[in-house]
Amino acid sequence: MSLDRQDKISWLAGVPLFASCDEETIERIADATGELVFTDGQAIVQQGQVGNGLYIVVSGSVRIVAGGGELARLGAGDFFGELAVIDQQPRNATAYAEGSTDCLALASWDLIALLERDSGLAMNLLRELARRLRRADAQLRH
Amino acid sequence: MVSARPAEALERGGPPFAPGRYDVLVVGSGPGGLQVSYYLSHLGIDHAVISADPGPGGMFRRYPFFQRLLSWTKPHTQLAHDSRAYERYDWNSLIAFEPEHRALMPGLMDGSSEFPSRAEMEAGLRLFVERMGLRVRYETAWQGTSRTDDGYVLHTTAGDYHSRVVIFAVGIAEPLLPDTPGIEHAAHYADTREAASYADKRLFIIGKQNSGFELASGLLQWASPIILASPRPAQLSVNLHSLGGVRARYIQPWEDAQLGGGVFMLDASIERIARHADGLAVHTRRSDTSEPFVAEVDEVIAASGFRAPLLDLENVGVSLFGRSGLPTMDNHYQSATAPGIYFAGTIGQAVSGLKKYGIPANSGAVHGHRYNGRLLVDDVAARWFGIERPRPEVAPEDVVGRLLASASSAPELWHQKSYLAHAISRDADGRIRDEGIVSLAGYVDASGPDGVAITVETDDEGDIHPAVYVRRRGRVDGDARLASSPLHEYDGVEHRAQLGSLIGDVLG
Amino acid sequence: MYQAEILDALAGLALFSDLDRPQLEAVAHTMSEEAFPAGQRILRQGFSGSGFFIILDGEVSVRVDGADVARLAKGDFFGEISLLLGEPPVADVVTLAPVKALQLAGPDLRAFLLTYPAVMYRMLQSVSRRLERANRRG
Repeated sequence: MSLDRQDKISWLAGVPLFASCDEETIERIADATGELVFTDGQAIVQQGQVGNGLYIVVSGSVRIVAGGGELARLGAGDFFGELAVIDQQPRNATAYAEGSTDCLALASWDLIALLERDSGLAMNLLRELARRLRRADAQLRH
Repeated sequence: MVSARPAEALERGGPPFAPGRYDVLVVGSGPGGLQVSYYLSHLGIDHAVISADPGPGGMFRRYPFFQRLLSWTKPHTQLAHDSRAYERYDWNSLIAFEPEHRALMPGLMDGSSEFPSRAEMEAGLRLFVERMGLRVRYETAWQGTSRTDDGYVLHTTAGDYHSRVVIFAVGIAEPLLPDTPGIEHAAHYADTREAASYADKRLFIIGKQNSGFELASGLLQWASPIILASPRPAQLSVNLHSLGGVRARYIQPWEDAQLGGGVFMLDASIERIARHADGLAVHTRRSDTSEPFVAEVDEVIAASGFRAPLLDLENVGVSLFGRSGLPTMDNHYQSATAPGIYFAGTIGQAVSGLKKYGIPANSGAVHGHRYNGRLLVDDVAARWFGIERPRPEVAPEDVVGRLLASASSAPELWHQKSYLAHAISRDADGRIRDEGIVSLAGYVDASGPDGVAITVETDDEGDIHPAVYVRRRGRVDGDARLASSPLHEYDGVEHRAQLGSLIGDVLG
Repeated sequence: MYQAEILDALAGLALFSDLDRPQLEAVAHTMSEEAFPAGQRILRQGFSGSGFFIILDGEVSVRVDGADVARLAKGDFFGEISLLLGEPPVADVVTLAPVKALQLAGPDLRAFLLTYPAVMYRMLQSVSRRLERANRRG
């Protein structure tokens, strides 16, 4: 499945992370992202690698694995890989495609430039990370 | 009722409370000191009151300069002036339990405004002293403090006073000047002259809080331009849903600035003040652009705040904090670090309580401290004199009604929302007891018998509603709110059902 | 004097490392200074209306259901996760020693971060780091 520019724009506009972005910003994101297709079991990012960008799942399913355990299972509209971009540390988990999986990839420098332009986007990202942190902390206690 | 002092040596025809040892010392004769003196007398606790001033009134002997008070006393409500419910509409009278001495202020106000003038407020305090037979040793200035094995020694102009318990009600009225270079060219708010003397002057006011706006309001028809400056924008109480910003009474300069009438709001930090031939140059740096901005004016007034004149109390172990040098205290206004030292009156604002949604309590204002003072004195009475608060038994079927009646009309809960609460507990023996008015923070953070505390709260959208805190197995795990009501009436069927279901397992 | 001390304390925080002096002054004025005795609860598990705190002096314990899970000290901040999510805190924060802190009203945090995007980015980094640590421990 291949997305043309207009498809990308429509689809991105529906992604929760970008809910507060204006039309111009969505178009910038569309132009900055590249589409990647992964086969079942393929590692999209590897733990320990230098992080080069953020991934948004268009279709299919992604398992996030670290320390031998599954951290999360993501589907269409979810994103991953942002921590390595924000904190400039090596990837702290591996992401595997489950079945044929389509992603949009946004390079680090493009993400950072977007966050600098659009504080609403930064706030959305911050909120989503806060949600994940609370969930992760809760899981640790049980 | 003031108890007799068998051994007191009254100087012949002179002031009361000669230097010596007393069970409790109170320093200050403003509203804070007078209110706690009354509560102490009511419990029969001997105490001396000393004051540097020549008469009662505290800050109201001088301030505010140009305006009436910010606190109202409404003479025409449907309520009898001597009722507790009326206290909600009379912020200014000190509290008395005797009906004939309650609500003294309405009788003293000339009816031209619901806000008393400075002189009317001072008169009200003087009348309270007379009616309640409070005694104060005036013109006795506290100058220093020492600590001994059996308490504290206050060194004063009349001599030394000894006690294990000292209550300082000395206000927060000592002018605070910023350490800006050239500040000596500025006057402090406290030294403001008569309004007409500012005619045709270009005026720069440092500070955008109540005192800065009060000055600007009072000088609107005299000085021009008037520039109000501080690093951040003015915050208006009507927007904050609390007393925390500039009060509505002083909003005129704000409107004037919006309409371009000669008042200017400048968000900038003041870097220095220089004098030259034509006047003063105030060098500032704008907060928005970080660019320099110079104002050429005739006069500068620093409405830059006040501090509490706590002299050498740090030397006897009182820990202070903040710009105003306020003490760190527990929930009953005792110093967190110097046992036996308490603070009454406006200094109580440093006990912030839950401060939900960032909304402060009214402890610094005339209506709030009156109730805090009672908690303070009850704590002194219990800790130092073995006088415990009564905990009358309550029938189980009366619990819900009693709590909702408080939520609907108790002045303590309405004046000190989310800060004071009405608590009812179930003891280990199964009996239900009325704890009366308690500190909300004290209730939710301390362990204790199962029970509930109810208060009134405002949220960040301005919705006023009762809030309920249930204690189970020694812990309060969260808060619950009851429905709000357009006329703030919380004792109907819906509220009874809501509260009943919340507390059924602990007090049912 | 006093004001300079507060500004120096703020200037030393990673959270505000991208702000200049006038911005720090504006931030200092937006927050209120509070002091708490030892053993005082500052953040309350399950309570609405919580705030955002930066510790200027002293130490606090973060407790979940009464159990100590973390210690925070000078320069650390807390309360932001609850505010970002619009949920009550999931932990108590209790002072272990007398604490001086700056407090920002809960409803003001969002506007504060939008006013100072650099601070929001630093907070983003802080939350990311904590998430990575949590993921590693899991």
